[in-house]
Amino acid sequence: MTRGVLWLCALCTLARVQAAPEDVTVNGQTVIVAGAPTGLADSAALRATIFGTPPQDRAPLPATVPLAEINIKLPWARPVPAVFWFDRRLRVWFSAQDQPAPLAIVISGTGSDGNTSSISTLRAALYGAGYHVLTMPSPTFPGFIVAASRTGVAGDLRQDSGDLYSAMQEIIGKLPRRVQFTDIDLVGYSLGGANAAVVKSIADTQGKLKIHRVVMINPPVSLFASIARLDKLFAVSIGPGEAGIDKLYRKLYARLANLYRASDAVQVDDTDFLSAAGAVLKTDADFSAAIALTFRMDLVNVFFAGDLYAGTGVVIDPKHPPKVGDSLEAIAARLRDKPFSEYFSRVFVPYYAPRRRGATPQTLLADNNLNIIGNALHLSPDYYAQTNSDDLILDQAELSWLKTTLGSRIVVYDHGGHLGNLGERQQIADMLDMLGGRWEGRQR
Amino acid sequence: MKGAVLTTLIVTALSGCATQSFSMRTLPDETPAADNALAIQRAADLAAAKNDVKAPAATPDAAPVTTADAPPMYTYDPWERMNRFTYRFNARFDENVFLPVADGYRRLPGLLRSGVHNFFSNLAEVPTVVNDALQLQVKNGVTSIGRFVINSTIGVGGLFDFASRFHLVKAPATFGSTLSRWGVHPGPFLVLPLLGPSTLRESLGLLGDYGISYGVNVADLYRGDQTYAVTVVDGIDTRANVRFRYYATGSPFEYETIRFLYMRKTLIQDEVLHPQGRPRDQDPKAPAGR
Repeated sequence: MTRGVLWLCALCTLARVQAAPEDVTVNGQTVIVAGAPTGLADSAALRATIFGTPPQDRAPLPATVPLAEINIKLPWARPVPAVFWFDRRLRVWFSAQDQPAPLAIVISGTGSDGNTSSISTLRAALYGAGYHVLTMPSPTFPGFIVAASRTGVAGDLRQDSGDLYSAMQEIIGKLPRRVQFTDIDLVGYSLGGANAAVVKSIADTQGKLKIHRVVMINPPVSLFASIARLDKLFAVSIGPGEAGIDKLYRKLYARLANLYRASDAVQVDDTDFLSAAGAVLKTDADFSAAIALTFRMDLVNVFFAGDLYAGTGVVIDPKHPPKVGDSLEAIAARLRDKPFSEYFSRVFVPYYAPRRRGATPQTLLADNNLNIIGNALHLSPDYYAQTNSDDLILDQAELSWLKTTLGSRIVVYDHGGHLGNLGERQQIADMLDMLGGRWEGRQR
Repeated sequence: MKGAVLTTLIVTALSGCATQSFSMRTLPDETPAADNALAIQRAADLAAAKNDVKAPAATPDAAPVTTADAPPMYTYDPWERMNRFTYRFNARFDENVFLPVADGYRRLPGLLRSGVHNFFSNLAEVPTVVNDALQLQVKNGVTSIGRFVINSTIGVGGLFDFASRFHLVKAPATFGSTLSRWGVHPGPFLVLPLLGPSTLRESLGLLGDYGISYGVNVADLYRGDQTYAVTVVDGIDTRANVRFRYYATGSPFEYETIRFLYMRKTLIQDEVLHPQGRPRDQDPKAPAGR
């Protein structure tokens, strides 16, 4: 019973790709505890987080957006382990205007690549507003960890953002000469928002690539606090070991089968199958479980890569790493049961502590907070943020900190959960105003 | 000659161009406005369908599928090593040959592509009719005959799908589904070269369907040299209409993910074909597909 369990997460992940925003770095507890002190995560917030902006509420988008895929080998990448043979080159996407224009670089959220449905929406809006658009994966996406990370141990805000910054320079240097930039701005959603802000702060000190404005969409404040809450959500909504996840899987299987029986569908179509899987999520408990599983699934990849690169031997024997063609199911099953705290204590700290002077688990924790660039966020006029008062990844203290730090450069919408209003008319209009320097500090 | 072409393709696929340090490939344009309009339409259709109350189709006496009917979460895969090898080959072939060709194809005018797609859908009605007969699905069989006749005549040899406008909805039946109705288990997970994830039963089904098409031989398309052209164009059309990219997940666990999803999809299809419960395994704890 222990094997194969992980793939239930895949079901939820893929279902969500059809139905909802991609990355979820979610504050767990409030999601399911009725009448939680903050009162943040109500049913509407969960729904918005899972299903995203309804199509009729989306901002007007252009009829066509040109798109090119770029694959690039980065000179500083570590040797590629055999099991990651397909991730040798970093893959990013580029949409070019015909005339000189500002460049907007979009950074994806936790565990996601640079071509998610959220990215598509942002790309279309930005392209429509006259930007060249470059979209990049999250530094926690396996393809980035393998092809672009200097460490292979993802999750460190400064390290990841530094790698991201280097990759941007490398990519921009190789773009065709006919593509001319008048300016460079960054947009990031969720964890990508925090990455974007730190990339700008690095760029401002190093000065090799001049980055003008940054818009963070639903950014976290304390990365590891949010993740810890998510681990709790997993424990509460799914439960430890195999029993809870088996129960959830069986429930979804039965619901899907009955759904298909009730319809006229004789053949179960592949793409419809995934949309249908999204449709059988019905209750707050289902949503919570899907959110927790989705995040755990992303963590499994990060944990696997980290353990492999750092040689920490938690699930991978450093002397006998898995080869191409080996079954990875047993490893995946073991990783599925491991929370982020275990990644932190058994991979992250053992790797980073000896490599940074004076680093302790406490300092490493403290470094993974947006307040490491608090001064810049407060003083520079070029950092902006959009978030929601019911965003699941922020507690009240964190939201207040964002408001105090950014002042008039943040807009807080009433509803939307985590990324549940991405692509909505007002969100897009405000984002474009912020990025274009036209923002006048409305409060909502 | 054909052998040479095939060898070249395979060598290209295996060597690949992944060694270049920088490559930029133009993809078909995205169409966000039209995509959103479609999503609005779909949402409206779904809302309308919810209001349109009707009894579950054709299976009023079905026993609902319960949680106990769900197969175990792990999948029977005795040929895993070979399957993983094939999966990897497919990924490389797709990346270096299949996908670039399909992307090029997607640049052709929409009308032409929909014509090609309808043409092959129409040809697929032939095995559908035979399988409906084998499954004693009279209503679906008559519908499929109707579709084939209408689309082959008014629809100019299948280039246009007029039958759908007459509310004759496409309901494909494969030899795999026939075997399922006859009580054949899905069998082990099997990755087919170029075609991708399958099971033993579904693979036999593909052979059966090809056999039917070959036997009926509509318009002499399945004999002689035109067979190759038909197969290649059919393959490109199919690939261009499947939104899947090998290793887009970036994950080392992608094979396991796909295996899980494919087998669950197959078993749920079996649940639909067997209103009184799909053929059960002797041992409910045996891996799915055994």
